[in-house]
Amino acid sequence: MSALALKPENLPTPKDEDWKYTNLSRALGDLKNVPAQDVQEILIHKTSGEVCVKPEDIMWKGVEGQHQNLRLKIVLEKGAQLTLIERHVGDGAYWKNMSTEITLGANARLNHIRIQEDSAESIQTNMVHITMERDAYLNSFSLNMGGKLTRHDIHMVLNGSNIDCSLNGVTLLKGNQHGDTTILMEHTAPHCLSNQFYRTILDDAARGVFQGKVHVHQAAQKTDGYQLSNTLLLSPKAEMDTKPELEIYADDVKCSHGATTGQLDEAPLFYLRSRGLSEAQARMLLVQAFVDEVVDKVSDTALHDEIKEKAGRWLEAALKSDD
Amino acid sequence: MIEIKDLHASIETDEGEAKEIIKGLNLSIPAGEVHAIMGPNGAGKSTLAYILAGRDDYDVTGGMATLDGQDLLDLAPEERAAAGLFLAFQYPVEIPGVNMSMFLKTSINAIRKQRGEDELDALGMLKLIKAKTKELGIADDMMKRAVNVGFSGGEKKRNEVLQMAMLEPKFCILDETDSGLDIDALKIVAEGVNRLRAENRSFLVITHYQRLLDYIKPDVVHIMADGKIIKSGGPELALELEEKGYAGFIGKAA
Ligand SMILES: Nc1ncnc2c1ncn2[C@@H]1O[C@H](COP(=O)(O)OP(=O)(O)O)[C@@H](O)[C@H]1O
Ligand SMILES: [Mg+2]
Repeated sequence: MSALALKPENLPTPKDEDWKYTNLSRALGDLKNVPAQDVQEILIHKTSGEVCVKPEDIMWKGVEGQHQNLRLKIVLEKGAQLTLIERHVGDGAYWKNMSTEITLGANARLNHIRIQEDSAESIQTNMVHITMERDAYLNSFSLNMGGKLTRHDIHMVLNGSNIDCSLNGVTLLKGNQHGDTTILMEHTAPHCLSNQFYRTILDDAARGVFQGKVHVHQAAQKTDGYQLSNTLLLSPKAEMDTKPELEIYADDVKCSHGATTGQLDEAPLFYLRSRGLSEAQARMLLVQAFVDEVVDKVSDTALHDEIKEKAGRWLEAALKSDD
Repeated sequence: MIEIKDLHASIETDEGEAKEIIKGLNLSIPAGEVHAIMGPNGAGKSTLAYILAGRDDYDVTGGMATLDGQDLLDLAPEERAAAGLFLAFQYPVEIPGVNMSMFLKTSINAIRKQRGEDELDALGMLKLIKAKTKELGIADDMMKRAVNVGFSGGEKKRNEVLQMAMLEPKFCILDETDSGLDIDALKIVAEGVNRLRAENRSFLVITHYQRLLDYIKPDVVHIMADGKIIKSGGPELALELEEKGYAGFIGKAA
């Protein structure tokens, strides 16, 4: 894997099928011409059978004016277990040009929680490559709130049987923010479960993108592959582009995908109001519930509550400004 | 208690035309009485219930409706709830991600707040929920489930009566609360309603079947067809209806 996830001299453009909704070059502006910093790398390596009881907490800080070259590498050998919290913050305009490489050996278990609160002027591109061996488990959750433009590009390869992996995400965007999650899930071995569950709330003129593809190879019989993207639009100017895809070459599989985009339904709003809740209270309860159903996938209680609170504050501010 | 005079209401159809559904309806229910409305499908019974509860899909084009002298039609749905109106929905709405105990707590406190009362504390809430669920034969674990999500037909209807019992309204509308219930569930629901009968509380029970009225004895039975009350009488009217069917009555009125 190269040191740089994306090469500034060879940036993807909307002409590339995968990038048609996301114009990175335009969003980068002058940052394109800023020479990259030296590689900042975090390597986390757990040897065979190492069970980490305490979560590890890492933070990537964005620095004004920089083109940062970030690398995260996680290797869990056979049977190792880890909960990793990855935080993103920063000030001013910067480009986090990041690559993430995750390798999970047989029976390894990783809980990966990503809390992305980059600055409003920043760009983040994260090219993620994950490989998993038999019986491995991955529960990943990402809260995407920051950045002028973010692109989360995940390529997963399930290499052994009985893998259980779920990718969950909540994206909350306002103003002119742009958030793109693109996933390629490759099932190459039988009896694996993959579950993608993403919910997005867009306010103002924000734009969201969700492209998810489940590719089931011929050998991957008895695959369970699911994908769901639900989006709530809080403003008529917000826009969501979704492209769910299934490509299946095995005949004995259970796969589904679904995508919805819309406003809050009137029926539950009226039901709640008929039970005494004010319109504002009913709306808040419903958007909170919309988000909570994904946040509930985070098993660590403290993190679950932290994420719920961060999302709750965002929602409260967004609903208030609509009144 | 409740006075409805010459109520007219219409809905905008998909073609953009106004379709009149309630066509000059009059109804008066004194405090403490139970009135039943029976009528064929499409008569406008649910529409009447929704209009009283404040759903805004409908245009009220004429007439009035008051609860204890207070004009209902000007109030927001939540204000009507605080004023003491409760609708047990024909089709209770699923609310994914909101569990029952959270929902009940929010609802009770929202109403108490509007009425200028103190919020119920956690212990008080727990006790209230325990007492009311027990009366209605509702399992404790239902309180952890999302509101109406995956509930059976019977569970949904019981849940409506549970909310009614907890919110202690003045005026209760039950829209086909009996449909989809087996006889045992029907008895439990009817007992729940009968327990709430009081001098200062009135009921409007919408049903298709005489069966429910064996358990919830009405003071007055109204027959509704084509957006109007076409005949009112005592409990014997329901039996007569059972015998003759709606056709006999609708024919007579025309
Ligand atoms: N949203 C709607 N759009 C068009 N027609 C409607 C709508 N809601 C109700 N109606 C019509 O109003 C009439 C009364 O419906 P409803 O009140 O549900 O009757 P009931 O409860 O007596 O069976 C029916 O003819 C129904 O088709
Ligand atoms: Mg009806």
